[in-house]
Amino acid sequence: MKLDLKQIAETRAALAENEVKQLLQQYSLATPTFKLVERKEDLKGLNLPVALKVCSDKILHKTDVGGVKLNIGNQEELNTIFQQFRKKFPQEKFLAEEMAKPGVEIITGLLRDSTFGLSIMVGIGGILTELYQDATFRVIPIKRYDAEQMLTELKGRKLLEGFRGIKTDREAVINMLLSLSQLGEDLEDYIDQMDLNPVFIYERGLCVVDAKLILRRPPE
Amino acid sequence: MANETKIKSLDAFFNPQSIAVIGVSRDPNKVGSVILSNTLQNQMGIKVYPVNPHLDEIMGLKCYPSVVDIPDKVDLAVISLPAIFVLDTIKECIRKETKAAIIVSAGFGETESGKELEIELKKTIKQSEMRVLGPNTLGILISGKLNTFFLPYDKSTTPPAGHIAFATQSGAMGHLLLERMAFYGVGTSAFIPVGNKIDVDENDLIEYFARDEKTKCIACYLESFAHGKNFFELCKKVSPKKPIVMLKTGSSKWGARAAASHTGALAGSNLVVEGALKQVGIARAQTEEELWDFANFLAYGKVLQGNRIAIITPAGGMGVTATDCIERTPNLTMAELSVSTKERIKTRIPPFASAGNPIDLTATSTPEMIDGVLEDLQKDNSVDGILMFSIPQPPLPVTDEQIEIVVKWARQGKPLVVGTIENRLTTECIRKYAREAVPVFPSIERAIKALQVSFERGEYLKSCQEGEKNKNET
Repeated sequence: MKLDLKQIAETRAALAENEVKQLLQQYSLATPTFKLVERKEDLKGLNLPVALKVCSDKILHKTDVGGVKLNIGNQEELNTIFQQFRKKFPQEKFLAEEMAKPGVEIITGLLRDSTFGLSIMVGIGGILTELYQDATFRVIPIKRYDAEQMLTELKGRKLLEGFRGIKTDREAVINMLLSLSQLGEDLEDYIDQMDLNPVFIYERGLCVVDAKLILRRPPE
Repeated sequence: MANETKIKSLDAFFNPQSIAVIGVSRDPNKVGSVILSNTLQNQMGIKVYPVNPHLDEIMGLKCYPSVVDIPDKVDLAVISLPAIFVLDTIKECIRKETKAAIIVSAGFGETESGKELEIELKKTIKQSEMRVLGPNTLGILISGKLNTFFLPYDKSTTPPAGHIAFATQSGAMGHLLLERMAFYGVGTSAFIPVGNKIDVDENDLIEYFARDEKTKCIACYLESFAHGKNFFELCKKVSPKKPIVMLKTGSSKWGARAAASHTGALAGSNLVVEGALKQVGIARAQTEEELWDFANFLAYGKVLQGNRIAIITPAGGMGVTATDCIERTPNLTMAELSVSTKERIKTRIPPFASAGNPIDLTATSTPEMIDGVLEDLQKDNSVDGILMFSIPQPPLPVTDEQIEIVVKWARQGKPLVVGTIENRLTTECIRKYAREAVPVFPSIERAIKALQVSFERGEYLKSCQEGEKNKNET
């Protein structure tokens, strides 16, 4: 089912994580396998270990409210944590998601700039993002050349070029930026900001582990 | 107004046939009188009409009570009245069908009390065809043609006619740089301080300068964008044809939104501007010095097609300092000279001199040596650009003969910048190169930064060609 962002933006300020990830998949961006969980019965059928997260358009900072549990290794534990979450967030749904295998972390996203309009960002992720403020922006839409330039501007660019045996799929990162730019172009009127953080980059391919999208009331 | 008409209408600033100077005074030191005497210096045969209801005559010219009383058409009005009289005067100019006006007066949007007045002024001119520069502007300089500054021409110098067009949101900063250009003799095509931008803004000027044949580089000092989106789209079109250099200061208001997303927090005040300017091929200056250096190079230098630099120096110390600087400059690298080039150079220089890169001619260097080595470097395919150090060789200053040789190769050969260390002995040498339109820089680091900008410009132009090719193929 395709998301109708125009309609959602009329009534809501943000998307829930499952919706953002569904949107990303429409733009060929890989995410971990996930299930939206309302009842205990929904918890079955995923490969363990999994993460359980509160999934709501009203809770953007899930970790801050104790709404994330990572690396749940067996079904029993999963059921217990689900019960705890249920009590804590009686109104909400949850996302059960297979744990992604770790990779080089980057951060990417979209942001509405008051001067230039919707812009795209990429940075080196993890704790280094905050430490070095290592990020670079362009106005969307971007071309392949822009995406390549963005990666060469990062101080931590070596992480994406092969460094101490770390191998990463630079091409996949470039394609991700181009897809994200396309997404931004298509939905420009409805996006205020979007965060994909972290994105794990592997030797081949990548995986968007966490994502949020803040909507904007569309212009009349 | 349609865009084409809008840009064409700026001609009234650049090529007026008649000017009304409104607000002249008997006191020759008052702003209006200074503007009048500057305007009278024009060499375009522009007719000048002073306006003041209390005077019959000034500087031997008949003075008119109001702009509407002038018996001729008026292309351009320069207004230097106190702010409260400006609105009525502008209305008169509109009635007179004046094509353009420069409002020098301050006391508008830049002050609390003048904000209302500025809004009123804006409304009035919006309903007319007249173009307005300012308010709160220094006046304009069209090199070799027209000067409407309120700075006395005998106390302020202006650069010779040349290829740098300069639009600035700070009259003072702009003027200080202009004086510096005049000091060295670096030429400018036009200098336009935009003031409060109630009508004419940086986008109008960039588009005008893009079409102006004399302008080879557009330099801008900006504190705020009039229309960011338009600016972005415009520069995307202009940059592949004409380089733009920009010093953009002031920060946006991202702090307030920082909490909502990491992307927002990372944007800070500056990163989106940084990215946007790069995206449209603008060379971004971080300081006033870079603004002037980059503009100087992009107007008068050649674009590097590769990143390998050869250094010629009569002083070993300058050679190694420059080598270190190139090593730490992203994108640039020291050229590995070919064996045959080194052999040829060896035959030209003293046996104890170095034929490797940096090529150290030692204190015994002669104009013939420099000429020969510059010729050798032209033929070496492993050299993309040349950094030539021009310094005095005691007891002699930098000789005219040396300068002539370097100028010759700068004109006919590979991209070349001249570097020196500015002091009492070298200022004149800097002026001589500038007069010959050869990019020259007063420090080692600044010369190398110019080379970096040259390389980035080359890469940008290549990416534009790639883009065109891909477009044609699909």
